[in-house]
Amino acid sequence: MFFLHNLERRVTLHPSYFGRNMHELVTTKLVKDVEGTCAGDYYIIAIMDTFDVSEGRILPGSGLAEFTVGYRAVVWRPFKGEVVDAIVDTVNQHGFFAKAGPLSLFVSSHLMPDEIQWDPTAAPPQFTNNADWVIEQGTHIRAKIIGLRTEVGEMWAIGSINGDFLGCLQA
Amino acid sequence: MASNAFQFGGDSESEDDNFNPAPADLSDDENEGDQASERNGKTGRRGSSPAADEQSPEDEENERPSKTAPKSGGDDEEEEDGAEDAQAADDEELEEVEEEEEEEEEEEEEDDEDDDVQHRHRRKRRKDHRAAFFDIEAEVEDEDEAEDEEKDGEEIEDFIDNAHPDDIAESGHLDDDRRHRELDRRRELESSLDAEKQAEILRKRYGKRAPARGFGDMAVVPKRLLLPSVDDPSIWAVRCKEGKEREVVFSITRRIEERLGTKNEVPITAAFERGGPNSVMKGYIYVEARRQNDIMIALDGILNVYPRTKMMLVELKDMPDLLRVTKTPNLEPGAWVRLKKPAKHAGDLAQVLDVTENGLEARVRFIPRLDYGVRDDALSTLTADGKRKRPGMPGPRPPQRLFSEVEARKRHPRHITGNPQTNTWTYMGEDFENGFQVKDIKIQQLEVNNVNPTLEEVTKFAGGSEDGTENLDLKALAASLKSNAKVAYVPGDVIEVYEGEQQGVVGKAVNVQGDIVTLKVTEGDLKGQTIEVPNRGLRKRFRPGDHVKVIGGSRFRDEVGMVVKIVDDRVTLLTDQTNTEVTVFSRDLREASDIGGQGSLGQYSLLDLVQLDPTTVGCIVKVDRESMVVLDQNGENRQVLPSQITNKLPKRKTAVAADRNGSEIRLDDVVREHGGQQRQGKIIHIHRSFIFLHSHASTENAGVFVTRAGNVTTIAAKGGRITNANSGPDLNSMNPALKRNPAANSNNMQAPRRFGPDRAINQTVTIRRGGYKGLLGIVKDTTDTHARVELHTKGKIITVPKADLIFKDKVTGRPIDIYSRSGRGGFGGGRGGFGGSGDYPGGSRTPMGSGGSERTPAWGSSKTVARTPAWSRDVAGSRTPAWGEGSRTVNPYDGNRTAYGGATAYGGGSRTPAWTSGAKTPAPDGFGHGSKTPAWGGGGDAWGSKTPAYGVSAPTPGASGPDSWGYTPGASGGSNAFDAPTPGAGLGAPTPAALNAPTPGAYSAPTPAAIIAPTPGAWQGGWGADTAPTPAVGAPTPAASGGYYGAPTPAAYGGAPETPAAGEIRYADDD
Repeated sequence: MFFLHNLERRVTLHPSYFGRNMHELVTTKLVKDVEGTCAGDYYIIAIMDTFDVSEGRILPGSGLAEFTVGYRAVVWRPFKGEVVDAIVDTVNQHGFFAKAGPLSLFVSSHLMPDEIQWDPTAAPPQFTNNADWVIEQGTHIRAKIIGLRTEVGEMWAIGSINGDFLGCLQA
Repeated sequence: MASNAFQFGGDSESEDDNFNPAPADLSDDENEGDQASERNGKTGRRGSSPAADEQSPEDEENERPSKTAPKSGGDDEEEEDGAEDAQAADDEELEEVEEEEEEEEEEEEEDDEDDDVQHRHRRKRRKDHRAAFFDIEAEVEDEDEAEDEEKDGEEIEDFIDNAHPDDIAESGHLDDDRRHRELDRRRELESSLDAEKQAEILRKRYGKRAPARGFGDMAVVPKRLLLPSVDDPSIWAVRCKEGKEREVVFSITRRIEERLGTKNEVPITAAFERGGPNSVMKGYIYVEARRQNDIMIALDGILNVYPRTKMMLVELKDMPDLLRVTKTPNLEPGAWVRLKKPAKHAGDLAQVLDVTENGLEARVRFIPRLDYGVRDDALSTLTADGKRKRPGMPGPRPPQRLFSEVEARKRHPRHITGNPQTNTWTYMGEDFENGFQVKDIKIQQLEVNNVNPTLEEVTKFAGGSEDGTENLDLKALAASLKSNAKVAYVPGDVIEVYEGEQQGVVGKAVNVQGDIVTLKVTEGDLKGQTIEVPNRGLRKRFRPGDHVKVIGGSRFRDEVGMVVKIVDDRVTLLTDQTNTEVTVFSRDLREASDIGGQGSLGQYSLLDLVQLDPTTVGCIVKVDRESMVVLDQNGENRQVLPSQITNKLPKRKTAVAADRNGSEIRLDDVVREHGGQQRQGKIIHIHRSFIFLHSHASTENAGVFVTRAGNVTTIAAKGGRITNANSGPDLNSMNPALKRNPAANSNNMQAPRRFGPDRAINQTVTIRRGGYKGLLGIVKDTTDTHARVELHTKGKIITVPKADLIFKDKVTGRPIDIYSRSGRGGFGGGRGGFGGSGDYPGGSRTPMGSGGSERTPAWGSSKTVARTPAWSRDVAGSRTPAWGEGSRTVNPYDGNRTAYGGATAYGGGSRTPAWTSGAKTPAPDGFGHGSKTPAWGGGGDAWGSKTPAYGVSAPTPGASGPDSWGYTPGASGGSNAFDAPTPGAGLGAPTPAALNAPTPGAYSAPTPAAIIAPTPGAWQGGWGADTAPTPAVGAPTPAASGGYYGAPTPAAYGGAPETPAAGEIRYADDD
């Protein structure tokens, strides 16, 4: 789910940049550092605006200035039970991996409808129900997140396509 | 256990399941009391028996003993008297004990115990001679020997009741005949009753007595009175063959039975064994007798027992211990055991089908290890010395496989018989059912404890059914597992009750005490209540998606993963480390904290780079409990112990390597293998020329693979390093703009990074300065600044600065410029040229910037064909090819270079404006350096504002993100589309010139694009330039013009009309 989230971050700036447009630089750096990263259990998608750049404080020792910047960002936090659309990344006999934006999602073969079978003979190998569903690399699928794991700078999810309206998206 | 007496005792004791030496009936008085009371009832019943003449049979019965009693009395007559006295004394004493409690202590006690023990065999006598004494009636219908003793009482009672049998006998004398007939009839009737009814009658009559008696016994006699004394028979331990203990005892029993009543009765009082596979008392049987010699006699000639070896007398105090009961595990059908005996199957898992009556053997089924005679030949061959090989050692045992009829028929068609319908076969003397071998095996040869069947093993058994469906007997499995592994529940566990009254209840454990778990119910009707349930019927409950860790006995211990499937108490999870699926019992799982601290062993953790030996390094791809698997630099897996690792190589964050294109690659860059499987991964280690990559796409080796650095191409650099051009300066380090003093600048102005071997190598050169001035040689090796030259004359290698070399054509001897030919700026050439321009801020102008306002790309817009890169789209129109981002140009700084390069032979127009721009651009306006975009510098006219470079604050392609790099100025021209990347497109092919295709400029010469083209003509062109008709090559580039103007850079010209575009005509030619 997407949220607008007020966040805060400390940004440091090299003394050689001290000058009139310092705030601008701080903002730039913030954007560079933060956008597109995974912050624990959510992803920071985009920074909407920056406000409240604090006064800089010189860090003893290095001379860098540290600014505390409050900003507002669009974040995406996947939830257990959330239904997401994803693109299949890799397929193996245990299931397939898909990417829902930055999030890696694994759908185990146990979590597929029964009629979907692993077909190792196809090229490339795929999951198929021998009818309209073929899951191979690049397939668009809709899955429900049933488990989430967060690591530093990374998130992992387990999904299920066993349910109404889940599975292949007919393009 | 043997001997009549002992069995007798055992009989009565079996009710309370206590083997400790408590003789059965201690106080006869008690017994008699009980019996008396019962008898009263009985006699009452009898009294009320319907017919008056019913009386007569009873009389008959009373008479009978007079016939039989003497006989039985006669049997025991010899011992009778002595025993009799003792008996009387006993009874008195016992009563005393009861009354006076423990006053008498020691001596008396011992006596008592004495007597107690002796009772066992005295008892029978007693009853016999009492019967004789009291002239016992013979109860005809009473055939049960075991009940004799009760009879005693009855008879006594009867005796009292019918105090004068003689009278009766006499009075009944008259109708004697009739009574005899009556009796006969009754007997007939009874014999005609079926056994069940008889049993029923018997049960009615005696059924209630046993327990009552049992209680009486236990309640009255203190245990310590039961301990053996010196007067009791002694117990000897006699050696026997190990494992045959029970057999021996049974044969003793048989012998006793055989010789019972004969002259040479077995003179022992008891025999027992405490064998068993794990017992310390195995290899012995224990015989109780008065004298050692009795044992000799008793055991003489019995197999497997060695009475002639030294017997050990069991000490008095040890005797009770000898009979202490240890609960032996009960084998139940369905339980799992391991085989010990057929050596071929040692350690194999087997399932108990049935246990024989005597508890000695169990019928088990297991997976056969058959080779179907494949190795028969080998077996039958004789060894060198003419002996047959020992069949027990046929080398490696065959793997476990279900029996296959087809295979068996292949070689031994005659040895197989069976029924295909039931799928039961007999092959080579072994039985097979449904593919499993079925065999009766002695329990000693089964490992019953600590079986710990793994799920894999068990699944093999389950998969054995014909239809392939799983029919795991989970209960039996759980039962066999439960015995050894206690499930530990901790408060907080979510637990489900699957058995018993509370079945289906789910709750959270709040307290665990011993076997009782207190649950707070979380679901269903009972929600909110707290209930207590026994440990037994519980299992932990998980839900798909839970993050769990494997604990306990499974071989997957310590794996952490997410639950994907749950069936009963089997849980399938996807491991974090290897992305494989494993199935374990839920009892072996617990919720894992989200921070997985898994995957480390000592100081080594997963994905660490370790030194295995001086030449080998490897990346840890799997960590087990004691060892780990390492993928070495050659791509091989090795299992190593921590001790085998020399040391751990710290991660070098700064490690750099070059990919096959010469681009620098660092940790965390994403690269793809060139050729081969084209695997793609993130660099986790760089070690010399090897890089270790990690990808989520494969599960093999935890997704780690190794390849050579030269064998990969960059997909994306971490943090978009290459594309950094856009992202502005690194605000954590020195502002590059501040480094621009002349000296620093000229120092900084180093040759652009070149890739591949130095072209100077193997060139023929002359040296133009120093002691070797004028000498001819060949360059053997170079560094950045110096060359090692092998002189033709002296045959020796000297080191000279490269700047002091003049490169000569090998054939003609004419001086050549090896770099410029290749599109690189002449190396040694006019460095100083730039010096001329010094730190002219104009350096920050790009060539096109200098192009004069009227020749901006925008300008080109008037000519339809000649759309300049920048121009085209309305949005893009405001973008400069050179553009940087936002307020910066890409190339202010590069512009510097370009200009510089252009002016000197050095840059040779081989630099694109965009070249390595990013971090070095002075761009940020704030600093006043090159604060104007290059284009801007051109002048303030309206057009100028439309110069590509101008796009100051407007979003430029680059500004909007890396993907926009796809848009090249050329693309905007529509004609050249993507093959004309803009100079700014600092990605892979940064310069327009990079393309072999005609650059935009090529089309419309007078456009600034033309300028762009040549300028960026770029070193990139250096690679392809020779063949490509890019401006950079054939056409005079600004650099070329540099010769004319001295050191003026295009930029230096500023708004001068002579922009690089001056070369327009020639460009056209080129095309």
